[in-house]
Amino acid sequence: MSAAPASAQAQPDASIVVKAEKVNKHFGSLHVLKDIDLEVRKNEVVVIIGPSGSGKSTFLRCINHLEKINSGHIYVNGRLIGYLERNGRLIEDSEKNIARQRAEIGMVFQRFNLFPHLTALENIIEAPVRVRKIPQAQAVAEGERLLTRVGLFDKRDKYPNQLSGGQQQRVAIARALAMKPGLMLFDEPTSALDPEMIGEVLDVMQELAHEMTMIVVSHEMGFARACANRIVFVDEGRIVEEGTPDTFFTNPHGERARQFLSQILH
Amino acid sequence: MYQFDWSIFWKYIWPPTAFQDPLIRTGFIVTIVASVVAQTLGVVLGLFVALGKMSKFPPFRALGEAYVWYFRGTPLLVQMALLFFGLGVTHIYDFPDIIWGTLTVKGAIQAGILALAINEAAYMSEIIRAGIEAIDPGQMEAAKSLGMTYGLAMQRIILPQAAKVIIPPLGNEFNSMMKTTSLMEFISGTELFFAFNQINARVFKPFELFIAASLYYLALTTVWSIIQARIEAGLGERKGIERTPGTLQRLFAGANSKGVR
Repeated sequence: MSAAPASAQAQPDASIVVKAEKVNKHFGSLHVLKDIDLEVRKNEVVVIIGPSGSGKSTFLRCINHLEKINSGHIYVNGRLIGYLERNGRLIEDSEKNIARQRAEIGMVFQRFNLFPHLTALENIIEAPVRVRKIPQAQAVAEGERLLTRVGLFDKRDKYPNQLSGGQQQRVAIARALAMKPGLMLFDEPTSALDPEMIGEVLDVMQELAHEMTMIVVSHEMGFARACANRIVFVDEGRIVEEGTPDTFFTNPHGERARQFLSQILH
Repeated sequence: MYQFDWSIFWKYIWPPTAFQDPLIRTGFIVTIVASVVAQTLGVVLGLFVALGKMSKFPPFRALGEAYVWYFRGTPLLVQMALLFFGLGVTHIYDFPDIIWGTLTVKGAIQAGILALAINEAAYMSEIIRAGIEAIDPGQMEAAKSLGMTYGLAMQRIILPQAAKVIIPPLGNEFNSMMKTTSLMEFISGTELFFAFNQINARVFKPFELFIAASLYYLALTTVWSIIQARIEAGLGERKGIERTPGTLQRLFAGANSKGVR
């Protein structure tokens, strides 16, 4: 069973969804990401935590090329993201190719970023219809199914400004899922929410965590403990510590992680 | 003591009698059509200038900047004369009359509309750019994260939202455009002011005739103000933007007044 044919060794490991190698990024003179190495496997849920300004959101945004990188490589499903490599140098890929790659990666933003001129359902079906060219009726059926899944079928014709923050974020999750991505990125999905709405969003994410590959930047320790396969602690642009939630929360190795945990857990 | 000629005045101020004169009839239609066509072309061209100015590609940016610099920095009347007389004399383009069946569009009108549109594009580009820049950058990011290209995101996500910001000043531009078409008189474009000028050349009653002419423009801009207030009220209701000033306020507050360029 475990014996793989020898030729498979040359193939990229299909179970690795995201692979980052020595990723560096500068904002002007500010060195925000320093030699980031990370591998995320299929169906793994990785939670990235760290102090604000540590570069965790920036790294997440590099994974779907919303931010450029200065050196290193990021592969998603074995393909270099955002760039082509020619003679060892990175050249930015064409807009079309980048768009095609992004279509396979769902992203949920801190501030939801729903399209305010479209209803909840229209928000969800926009990209499937315009990007994937799925027939309208099919996209509507799938969109309604997704709205039901996040518990908002009755809000299908509401505009974002008629929804609460928690509802907007659930629609935003459904919108990302509508593209059937193989990977979901969550950029502090609950930090713009009132406390009483955090639970409903985390519930949806928790359910997703059973069946999807997810990278989540979040300080929600409850979610991290319950759902994460791995915690990645980032500080000053570096991955300082990695581990299972159990070892990380109960017995972090480094002083920085210990300090950080004592601050957020009181 | 000047003897005010009431008969001429009433004849040309009362539409049923005034419109018996083919000059007035043509002039009225040309003024409206030229305004609509020039404004429409101005918006389309202005969109491209705006996108050029916001481009990541420096030559496009420079081109957009230069366009706005030139066409806002020189008088429209001079631009119009340059386009019609200037191009005509070089035979680069003579603006021949266009004939569709019974309808003839004179070269001067084509040149006039084109000059108005080119000039308007410079102003519209700034309005459109401001509208696009008013949209949260998170909207573009969300669109891109869903696999949309820049063009698709602009078309489906950014511009529909920017339109809400663009439409009120666009309405003011159109109001201004209807008055500015009178500059076509200079190149013998047969619009409304040209018509009154021609009649004046025949009867020499400039006081009576130009009062009448001014009132036709006033009627056009007033009707448009009412339509514009309706459009903006509808826009505000659906999408929750601030209430716009009412028609009366709009007419008398002077906030929209703008001279000929």
